[in-house]
Amino acid sequence: MNAYMPYVLCLVLFCIGIFAILSKKNIIKIILGIIIAEYAVNLFLVMVAYKAGGRAAIFSPNRGEILPEVMVDPLPHALVLTSIVIGLATTAFMIALAIRLYGKYGTFDITRMRELRG
Amino acid sequence: MIRTLFVLLVLLVLAAAATSVIPHLKMRTELDGAGLEYARRGLEDTGSINLVTAVIVAYRGLDTLGEVVVLFSAATSVMLILSLFPLGRGPTDPSFIVAHTARVLPAPIMLLAVYFTTHSHLSPGGGFPGGTIMASAFLLVMLGSSSTPAGSKILPALEALSGTTFGLLGLWGTMTLGQFLNNRVIGIGNPGYLVSAGIIPLVSLAIGVKVASEFSGIFAAFRKSGGNR
Repeated sequence: MNAYMPYVLCLVLFCIGIFAILSKKNIIKIILGIIIAEYAVNLFLVMVAYKAGGRAAIFSPNRGEILPEVMVDPLPHALVLTSIVIGLATTAFMIALAIRLYGKYGTFDITRMRELRG
Repeated sequence: MIRTLFVLLVLLVLAAAATSVIPHLKMRTELDGAGLEYARRGLEDTGSINLVTAVIVAYRGLDTLGEVVVLFSAATSVMLILSLFPLGRGPTDPSFIVAHTARVLPAPIMLLAVYFTTHSHLSPGGGFPGGTIMASAFLLVMLGSSSTPAGSKILPALEALSGTTFGLLGLWGTMTLGQFLNNRVIGIGNPGYLVSAGIIPLVSLAIGVKVASEFSGIFAAFRKSGGNR
C-alpha cells in the first residue's frame, strides 16, 4: 500500500481542485481550484517520469560519470516544463475575464451574475 | 443541497475510477520506451548535455513552436480583453519598500534569467523558465514606478522579432538539410561548452525573449487596467 501513497495523495490534490471548481461560488476560488487541479496533473506526470534512485536527465561535463540508464525519463519533464508556462498564460487569461466580470457586475459571486444563467 | 450531493457524486466517481487505475501504477525501476532512446542518443544527436532541453527544442521543436503559438494567443486575448474598456483609475504609487526593492533587485534577477536562457543546453533551465524570470524583473520595475515603463512600447516588436527568429531557424533546416528545425545546420561543436549543441542555444534565446515579452505585455495590460472603480 505504501508504494501507491504518492499517487493517492496526487489524486487527493486533484479532487481538492475539482471540489473547489464545482462547489465554490467566488470566481477567484474557482480559478484557484483550476490551478490546484492543473498542478496535480503536473505532479502526476513528474511521478510517472521518476524511477527509484534516478538522476536528473543531464550528462556530467566529464563524460561517463552519469550513464543514460540511471536517468529519469526526460520526456514528461519537457511536457511539464511547457505545461507550467502555458498554465500561467491561461491563468492570466482567466483572471482577465474575472476582472471584466467584476467590472460588469460589481461582484465575484457567480450566483449573482444573473444574466449569465441560461 | 442538491449541489453538494452532485459535487460529492462527481468526486466519488473520480475516486472509483482512480481505485481501478492506481493499483496498476508502479514506480519505474528502469528507463524504457522513448525516454531510453532519448537518453541514449540525445547527446550524439543534438550535442546538448541537458536532455530535457534536447527534447523540447530539438526532438519536439515543432510542438514547442505550437506551444509558443498558444502562449501568443493567450497573451493577445488578455491584452484585448483588458484594453477594450479601461476600468480603473490606473496604477497607484508604490510603497516605500517596493519602490526601493525595485531599484536593487531587477539587475540580479535579469542576470539569473540570462544565465538560464543561454545555458539551457548545459544546466537546468531553458527558454521558458528564463523568459518567465525576465518577465518577473520587468514586473518588479513596473511595480516600483507609478507609470508604465518606457520599455513596454517595444514589447510587441521584440515578440514579433523573436517569433520570426524561431521560425526562420526552423526554415533554415528545411532549406539546407530538408528537415524543419534540424539541429545540425551549424556544427554541434564540443558538448559541454557554451558554444555547442547547434541551434539549441539560439532557439532557447528566441523562446526566452518571446516568453518574456509576452508575459511583460500581460503584466503591463493588468497594470494599466488596475485600481478600483
